[in-house]
Amino acid sequence: MNNLLQDIKLIGDEIPWLKDLRAKGRDAFISQGVPTAKTEAWKYTKPNRFLANSFSYTPSNLIGISPNKTLPFDCYQINFTNGVFNPFKSNLPQGIEVTPIIEAIMFKPKVREKISLIADINNNPFVALNTSYLNEGVYIHISSNVDIKKPLAIVYDTICTDRNDLFNLRNLIELEKNSSLKIIETFGYEGKVKSTYFMNVVNEIYVDENASLKHYKLQDEAFKAGHIAYNAVKVSGGGSYKSFCLQKGADMARNETCVLLSEEGASACVDAAYIMNGWATIDTTTDIKHLKPHTTSSQLVKGVVGGQAKGVFQGKIHIAPNAIKTEGYQLHKAMLLTDEAEIDVKPELEIFADDVKCSHGSACGELDKEQLFYMQSRGISEDKAKQLLIEAYLNDVIAKVDDEKIIEWIKLSLDSTKSE
Amino acid sequence: MTTPLLEIEDLYAGVDGKDIIKGFNLTINAGEIHAIMGPNGAGKSTLSNVLCGKPGYYVTSGKVRFKGKDLLALSPEERACDGLFLSMQYPVEIPGVPVTSFLKHAVNAIRSYKGESELDTMEFIKMVKSEGKKLGLDSEMIKRAVNVGFSGGEKKRLETLQMSVLKPVLAILDEADSGLDIDALRVVAEGVNALHNEENALLVITHYQRLLNYIVPDFVHVYADGKIVKTGDKTLALELEEKGYAGFVKEKE
Repeated sequence: MNNLLQDIKLIGDEIPWLKDLRAKGRDAFISQGVPTAKTEAWKYTKPNRFLANSFSYTPSNLIGISPNKTLPFDCYQINFTNGVFNPFKSNLPQGIEVTPIIEAIMFKPKVREKISLIADINNNPFVALNTSYLNEGVYIHISSNVDIKKPLAIVYDTICTDRNDLFNLRNLIELEKNSSLKIIETFGYEGKVKSTYFMNVVNEIYVDENASLKHYKLQDEAFKAGHIAYNAVKVSGGGSYKSFCLQKGADMARNETCVLLSEEGASACVDAAYIMNGWATIDTTTDIKHLKPHTTSSQLVKGVVGGQAKGVFQGKIHIAPNAIKTEGYQLHKAMLLTDEAEIDVKPELEIFADDVKCSHGSACGELDKEQLFYMQSRGISEDKAKQLLIEAYLNDVIAKVDDEKIIEWIKLSLDSTKSE
Repeated sequence: MTTPLLEIEDLYAGVDGKDIIKGFNLTINAGEIHAIMGPNGAGKSTLSNVLCGKPGYYVTSGKVRFKGKDLLALSPEERACDGLFLSMQYPVEIPGVPVTSFLKHAVNAIRSYKGESELDTMEFIKMVKSEGKKLGLDSEMIKRAVNVGFSGGEKKRLETLQMSVLKPVLAILDEADSGLDIDALRVVAEGVNALHNEENALLVITHYQRLLNYIVPDFVHVYADGKIVKTGDKTLALELEEKGYAGFVKEKE
């Protein structure tokens, strides 16, 4: 664990409150430690084996300038290369602001109030670790009544080397009243495919009254890398948060989303898919807190697991006392491609109010042999047939992304995944 | 003499540990239409599944040559690419895979196996639509998922559409008439007849004579207890219709 905590001189260490915040993160990480098999929240995804690697954190280790990846759809684009924010070039329209996080919290007292507020350092060691290094990331702000039509893409590119890099990224996203935005996060790599790096990301997201955020993510890290992301989201009255996350890379990965439906009429839709093989562990964890009446949430998570890989889904719906007339739905479905593949599922419903509608379900199956043979009997190779069936299986959850171009891009990334 | 399309020699095969085909012989040449008729449970579908390489079916002895090649050594997809086609008795539903995309992958797999360039989407859609029209499949239907929500008749029409697009050299029609009303039967049969020429052959497996009024066979084989017990011309089918299979099937002891 000690190798995760290093004495690095960070920007703003001379500012007492910032130094103090980082120290609190450090202390919280030390007191929680790296989760073990006995840690309930991490009992399926055991990160200790991966974290036994030694890592080095060098905040400005930009190795050349990466060829900026361009996405195959029209968008505003922010790039991170090896965890460092590249100077921003896109022309942004009125009403949207993108600033390095460190600048925003140092110079804007209002932003400072919101950092480390909904992402609790005492409840997650990786949030604590991230906070101890709080330095890199972006602050995104959408002014009230502004509707940003084009998606805003955050491209995280890792140039893999022999060194095991540790990246801590912290973003704060704020949508003011009646605004709307589509954000795409994409994590990828170049260079040495066997690089063991660790990407630790925390997003704190505020969706104000009647605002709408769509948050799509593609996790395609190098296959020996680690990826842990924590998305803390607070949705105010009438606001809506809709997300979809496809995870297909990394050796050990978790995408965790905690949504606070904090006022009446707030809603969340947290969908995800995962596709994996080899020896990877990919984890999707959700925690939807219905704190007020008339709040709604839905979750659809679908996965395909091959090789000796392990898929994990932990989904929690919490309904606070008096949060009546709320609706919370959750469905997880997975397909196992081999006998050695594994799925661990932990659905949890905590309901402290009457007059609510809640449901959860989980199902697990395998590729349909009749369908496979039917396709082969028409000349389609076994591998291609499997790929088509897997795509068909994930089709309904991917289709929930409401942008044809983005759906196409996500499907394209599935094509490059081998099914065994 | 030219190589026959299909030669089956003394074939023994089965499924689930049960021997079903016992000493089966058949030779089919290009340009011919063969019908295999037999009672329920004779193993007619086992024969078509063995020929197409369905997993789970095993061959204990015997030879099957397709265009002179050892058919049994090929994977199901290689058999299809080489020109073997099975119109299934129960076509499989594939939710989430549209007919057009399914067919396009099939056509291009076969084309690339033969060393031909892949078709572009526009050409392909145009071809499928025009073939579909002939079979009374509207263009909305080919956008839907394969066989999902299709009626029995629509499923059989889709099988025929696949056949007309994939252009096999040997098509096996397994109970192509089951679940069809007279009109649909005629459409399917006309579709099949339109594809038949001197270069290819048909093997029609059925237990009713009805279909053979529309697809007229050169040879009719009576299949019982795992092998062919009698071979004749199309009049044999009529005889069967009249007298039933009883005279050909060994009394069970």
